[in-house]
Amino acid sequence: MASVAAWLPFARAAAIGWVPIATHPLPPAPIPKDRRKADDEKLLINVSGRRFETWRNTLEKYPDTLLGSNEREFFYDEECKEYFFDRDPDIFRHILNYYRTGKLHYPKHECLTSYDEELAFFGILPDVIGDCCYEDYRDRKRENAERLMDDKLSENGDQNLQQLTNIRQKMWRAFENPHTSTAALVFYYVTGFFIAVSVMANVVETVPCGLRPGRAGTLPCGERYKIVFFCLDTACVMIFTAEYLLRLFAAPDRCKFVRSVMSIIDVVAILPYYIGLGITDNDDVSGAFVTLRVFRVFRIFKFSRHSQGLRILGYTLKSCASELGFLVFSLAMAIIIFATVMFYAEKNVEGTNFTSIPAAFWYTIVTMTTLGYGDMVPETIAGKIVGGVCSLSGVLVIALPVPVIVSNFSRIYHQNQRADKRKAQRKARLARIRIAKASSGAAFVSKKKAAEARIAAQESGLEIDDNYHQEDIFELQHHHLLRCLEKTTDREFVEMEVPYNGQPKRPGSPSPLASPTHSAASHPGLLHACCGRCCGQRYQPPF
Amino acid sequence: MFGGKKKEEELDEFNIHVARHRPEELAKLAKTTKFTRKEIQLIYRGFKQECPTGMVDEDSFKNIFSQFFPQGDASQYAHYVFNTIKHNHTGKISFEDFLGILSKVSRGSVQEKLQWIFGLYDLNGDGLITKNEMLDVVTSIYEMLGRSTEPQVDEHSAKEHVEKIFHQIDANKDGVVTIDELVEWCSRDEQILQSLDTLDTVL
Repeated sequence: MASVAAWLPFARAAAIGWVPIATHPLPPAPIPKDRRKADDEKLLINVSGRRFETWRNTLEKYPDTLLGSNEREFFYDEECKEYFFDRDPDIFRHILNYYRTGKLHYPKHECLTSYDEELAFFGILPDVIGDCCYEDYRDRKRENAERLMDDKLSENGDQNLQQLTNIRQKMWRAFENPHTSTAALVFYYVTGFFIAVSVMANVVETVPCGLRPGRAGTLPCGERYKIVFFCLDTACVMIFTAEYLLRLFAAPDRCKFVRSVMSIIDVVAILPYYIGLGITDNDDVSGAFVTLRVFRVFRIFKFSRHSQGLRILGYTLKSCASELGFLVFSLAMAIIIFATVMFYAEKNVEGTNFTSIPAAFWYTIVTMTTLGYGDMVPETIAGKIVGGVCSLSGVLVIALPVPVIVSNFSRIYHQNQRADKRKAQRKARLARIRIAKASSGAAFVSKKKAAEARIAAQESGLEIDDNYHQEDIFELQHHHLLRCLEKTTDREFVEMEVPYNGQPKRPGSPSPLASPTHSAASHPGLLHACCGRCCGQRYQPPF
Repeated sequence: MFGGKKKEEELDEFNIHVARHRPEELAKLAKTTKFTRKEIQLIYRGFKQECPTGMVDEDSFKNIFSQFFPQGDASQYAHYVFNTIKHNHTGKISFEDFLGILSKVSRGSVQEKLQWIFGLYDLNGDGLITKNEMLDVVTSIYEMLGRSTEPQVDEHSAKEHVEKIFHQIDANKDGVVTIDELVEWCSRDEQILQSLDTLDTVL
């Protein structure tokens, strides 16, 4: 707020617009107890040999930091008439710029922990880091915290895991993170094994083993060892059903779970079996029954719970839909063009395979993808020329969009991650603005109460604390302005509800394991040995 | 592939066309306004700190204004105040405009101040203040209070306030307020004239 102090005269001047409609006459202007020196003086700050100079008023913009309060007097060197700090001068430059411009920047090449220590020393909260540097700062902080957390976890083993309240939550966590407990790991491997067994059984079922008795043709293993395969299928389906029901039971949000892709795959994987049980061995329906068995192949998708890569692939395919669409579109265009030309070139050949344009589609596709089955071959010279051009262009048309799609994959993937980060940061920024507003509004109300208490004390002749004349002339006039607003509208400002417990909390920030606590802890004396004003907002271990 | 162009255009907008503006000489400003050199120096330093280009546009003006009224929404009142400052067609105000208005309003004569107040309420500039215009301005003043006041502000507070006060100012009851009626209203009480002075600022 202090950086807009120069606009206070204007805000006050604009306030005379309230005069005609004021319900009460406006209170008189505040007279400062002792007129501060009109001239500002320059202070010399020596940080490990590098000298900085600035106006006194610049530093006093933020009275709850070290440099803005009386705490800096501890560092005053009488002989050289300067303030000496034995700290890092490179980082101090940014801190001084914060006073000058109101924005704190985070230098990318600096180590996060050393930067945090300097901020802690000078009593500046990391919240005030400007938006331009805030993203970087938070990323580094999160990496740091994660690294520390990993170290701690590997030290202590699994003792640090939070205690879960009930069996349901434990089960859900076991399902989602198999490596958290041995039972979960066993379950994970067992289900994986049964998925593999089931898929293998489906495949082996169709392998021919031996001749069909009494008829020509081979007998697939599925029909020879019907009972064995049926038992195997039953066992797998029982396991899958049990797993699905357990997951359904443990899911924190059952509706969401039922709608999720994985659960749909689970259901589709086991349904054919149950439908098959229900259908009798009727010839009419067995055709449909056979079709249903095709759906058993969906069991292979159950592996995506076991494989991170498969999940990522599915997700990126979904988000790359427009690029894939373009590829398909351009291919379709090329296919239609070449098929048409091919057809008209070959249609007059006797006994030709190119009986219609759609028939020529197959030839074009096979040629463009350089498969070349050879079931359809051009006979005329024109046809061969077209065929040659077709296969050459096929390579180009397919090869060109593919790298674009691949790079789009990675770009979109990273972009999605960044979009989530930005959303979280926007929320954090709005929260910060709200809190800043709340605190400045609350400051006014508390000052008002203090002033009333002082007047009451004065009237009753009690001794008053002489902190009053420390008050900034600008603050006095700002509060006078707010009092005028109160009088104009016949209302009174009251305490605003502050929605936090004294410390701004950021959503999505890592748990408090960051190392700067060590430095803060090592200077407890200095941090608390300040004037009574700067209490609540002192630097505390971040987040 | 199909929707990529838009992003570039959007990014271009962020390279704002920065117009630099250098104000007139300090001595000249000291002569034409009622501030001393030292005061103008102080004001300019703060002005340039907030607006490095030397020009203020309406959005930053609203922003700055809102910082003085943290509990409410000062943007509408700031909009009306901004409109009283004569700015050229670029929609921004320079330091001279700013200083001129400041000098007139905080240290000018009673007549100048009342004229400015009239200009503030007269939204369409036709020389008459109607009840609706006053209601708009008073609503914006109530918006600056915010939620946490005692008694609470609701949609009717401003209307009630205007009802009470408009017919007192409108002496001849013709439904509009002229500059003379406003001057008459504000001069009726010594206290009100004093109020006009309390809002000067000591630098």
